[in-house]
Amino acid sequence: MLRRVLTCLALFACCTMLQAADIVVVVRSDSEIGILERSDVINIFLGRFRKLQSGGHVEPLDLPAHSSECEHFYQRLIGKTPAEINAYWARLLFTGRVFPPRAMDSQERLLDTLLGNPRAIGYLERDKVDRRLRIVYEMSGP
Amino acid sequence: MKTIKTAFLALLSTLGLIASPPLFAETAENSPSAFSFNGFGTLGATRSSSSEAGFVRELSQPHGSAGKWRTEPDSLFGLQANWQATSELAVIGQVISRYHVGSSYDPEVSWAFLRWEPNGNASFRMGRLGTDFYLFSDSRQVGYSYLTVRPSADFFGVLPFSHIDGADAQFTWPIGAAFLKARLHYGWLDEKLPLADRRWNLSGSRMVGGSLTFQQGAWTLRASSSSLRFEHNLPINELTDGLRSVSSMFPSAGAAADRLDIAGSTSRFHSLGGVYDEGPLQAQLMISRVTHSSASFQNWWAGYALVGYRIGQFTPFVGYSWIRSQAKTLNPGLPSGIDPGLDQLAIGTAQVLADSHSNQHTTTFGVRWDFATRLALKLQLDLIRGKPDSLFPYRDETAAWKGHTNVSTIVLDYVF
Repeated sequence: MLRRVLTCLALFACCTMLQAADIVVVVRSDSEIGILERSDVINIFLGRFRKLQSGGHVEPLDLPAHSSECEHFYQRLIGKTPAEINAYWARLLFTGRVFPPRAMDSQERLLDTLLGNPRAIGYLERDKVDRRLRIVYEMSGP
Repeated sequence: MKTIKTAFLALLSTLGLIASPPLFAETAENSPSAFSFNGFGTLGATRSSSSEAGFVRELSQPHGSAGKWRTEPDSLFGLQANWQATSELAVIGQVISRYHVGSSYDPEVSWAFLRWEPNGNASFRMGRLGTDFYLFSDSRQVGYSYLTVRPSADFFGVLPFSHIDGADAQFTWPIGAAFLKARLHYGWLDEKLPLADRRWNLSGSRMVGGSLTFQQGAWTLRASSSSLRFEHNLPINELTDGLRSVSSMFPSAGAAADRLDIAGSTSRFHSLGGVYDEGPLQAQLMISRVTHSSASFQNWWAGYALVGYRIGQFTPFVGYSWIRSQAKTLNPGLPSGIDPGLDQLAIGTAQVLADSHSNQHTTTFGVRWDFATRLALKLQLDLIRGKPDSLFPYRDETAAWKGHTNVSTIVLDYVF
């Protein structure tokens, strides 16, 4: 029984991976944030290091924890599930070290916030990106 | 009374669940100042198979499970308020209700501090802070944040203090894709520790220490060291006063009393830790060395290793931990069989020395099931194998204690 449950879960995980949307990491077109490496994106979104060259803070924006975009973003970036990301943030938040990225309730909302703040950085489906935004990191395939 | 308090805790926890706003509640967008409110909790049932000693999660708990299912060791509830006043300044307060000294669930202020981050490299905190003198030691109460039902009792259980009133500073240097973090802390304890039916006052004890952390990709390595200078003695003044009262005849008895004094003595905590966390795999290894200048506590080595691998929503894990202390000798030099009072002093001295002995290892099996958003159910079995003289980690030991017990635990962890 357990084996069957596990197989179903594994299959489910594979299916969602196959349907993965094309996610890109974006900033406002005039932002001082340049092209990023995978490790930079991890550092910013996991709160390890959020400093800009100019000395200011980068402000990462998240989509809702159980949106498919959020799930794909963290799965492709570091191979973690939303539950694991929540557990990670529970540790940092409740020790008062660093706050998690601000969660936006939709991609549209995230886009508005990005356009209003040159220090903000977020992830979106590629087809939501227009000329007002600049792609700084492309997720490599699973 | 105890049941009422447990019920109250359960009720509070349930209310917390029902009233859950989204985790890490959204803050007012585009506003520089933001307030958020979060909580965490654990509902747990714990049973240690041996009725000869009480198994506790940590020494701040006055009684433990001894042959019966108990909710006290692993249930707790915490609330935290965060106010990000400006992009550099934040104020954080946290209150935890858990079973602790006085057999009460009286809420305690675990953190209340101001955090100032003038730039991305430095962070300063002032107020009541978590003492993270070991890796993860400041997140011990947030069950949802880790794999097991509780942090290793062999490793963390013997450290009964959780916060300091003081300050810390952290500096971060990027080295390529890696980081080096240095942290310094300085402050005073304010907690009390239950000892049989008495309390040992830790308040005013001064802690100073620091750590170096290296982080690259999936790896985190950390070395840390802290020193603690105690302000108050153990509540054993009948013994030390008695030894001193006969010191004119037996000078070694007076010397023994001085060696039993903890006020003014120093304990040092050193640790090395490594964590690997990538995709579904997480592994931890930690080792600590603790020394005490007073004869009332034995020096010990402790460590643990833990590996977990996620399969779908389930993360099975295995662990191994140990603690071993080295007995100290202290001879009050009292002749035996002459006077019952002198015999009592000799026995009392030997007992204080024996009470701080630890010699055991634990093999742990368990599984964490992330069955719903922000909820995790965990099952764990700890096979504790030690010598009958391994008394330090327990409460209410009896003469029949053999050093062996199996601890079964089920917990529900949540955050909101």
